[in-house]
Amino acid sequence: MPFQILINVLLAVLWMFLQNEYTAVNFISGYIIGILILFIIRRFLKFDFYLKRVWAIIKLIYLFIVELIKANIDVVKVVLKPKQDHQPGIVAVRTQLESNFEISILAALITLTPGTISMDFSQDSKTIYVHSIDVPDKEAMIKDIQGSFEKAIMEVTK
Amino acid sequence: MSTMIDVLVAIFVVIGVFFAVVSAIGIVRLKDVYSRAHASGKSATLGVIFIMLAVFIHFLSQGVMNAKILLAILFLFLTAPVASLMITRSAYRNGVKLEKNTVIDDLKEMYETNQNQSK
Amino acid sequence: MFDTVLIVALTALSIALLLLFIRVIIGPSTQDRILALDAIGVLLVGFIGILMILQDTSVFSDIVLVLTILGFVGTLSLSKFLERGVVIEHDD
Repeated sequence: MPFQILINVLLAVLWMFLQNEYTAVNFISGYIIGILILFIIRRFLKFDFYLKRVWAIIKLIYLFIVELIKANIDVVKVVLKPKQDHQPGIVAVRTQLESNFEISILAALITLTPGTISMDFSQDSKTIYVHSIDVPDKEAMIKDIQGSFEKAIMEVTK
Repeated sequence: MSTMIDVLVAIFVVIGVFFAVVSAIGIVRLKDVYSRAHASGKSATLGVIFIMLAVFIHFLSQGVMNAKILLAILFLFLTAPVASLMITRSAYRNGVKLEKNTVIDDLKEMYETNQNQSK
Repeated sequence: MFDTVLIVALTALSIALLLLFIRVIIGPSTQDRILALDAIGVLLVGFIGILMILQDTSVFSDIVLVLTILGFVGTLSLSKFLERGVVIEHDD
């Protein structure tokens, strides 16, 4: 993937030289043309077309923003409820992610999503302890985290 | 045109201030540190992000691209989860009590097994 | 009209800051106080942002950046200090 980005930047610089105008607009248009060229010759490359991964990142960010807004509506509901009868709890969530980078991204995403904040890691950092502001169903919550975020992160970094 | 942008900026500011005020009320009203971290970590961050987006749009409409504001938004995004994780972790390790209608506490088992192993 | 909305927003933010100050004073544990101080730092960033729109100047953008970073570092070092008694750990 870094190799392809390098090719792309190189094509953009070449485009800039051909235009003989060294401006940001020329660089960006050259970069877009480079993406097009890479897209056309993608069958001859040894690696996957790297925009596929960029697309996965965009999907992850989209999922994340939607969840963040849901999270805030959730907090508003809990805070402004006249009677405070929510049932908080700490739940252990096991993850299949491997590297430290992925796990820290998962922990950050958990914090900014509905009703949960990550609190602590186990010694092998494979289990994230999550404080949830309302736990009606423990299993459903764990499944929700594993189903949505883990899958999206794996798609980005696999 | 400029009134349109003013209206947009005003809407963003109002949304942001609403979330900020809700998070302040939450920090005062909720019962234990861990629940308060929910209010501070999520609502305050999103509220301020909305306000900074309003600032960005306002200056963009005058033809000034202020990248520092975008950088501030990025920093807020990156730092808010870490800060709330550190605060709740230090609270738990210092033995701040959970609220009394807490239903599950998986973390307690982890610390107990660790202590048994180290004995 | 636009300025009125902004001034009302500033007033509401000031009330929020006052509420957080109450939590800083009464907070039963030290972590409560750190949490409220952290939130005060974040809300101050928003406060300065609205001031920037109101006064139509972008010179405060550096202050916004520095305040964000300083608030984060302050929160981290305080909670780390409470957890272990030291801020910088030496692995040995």
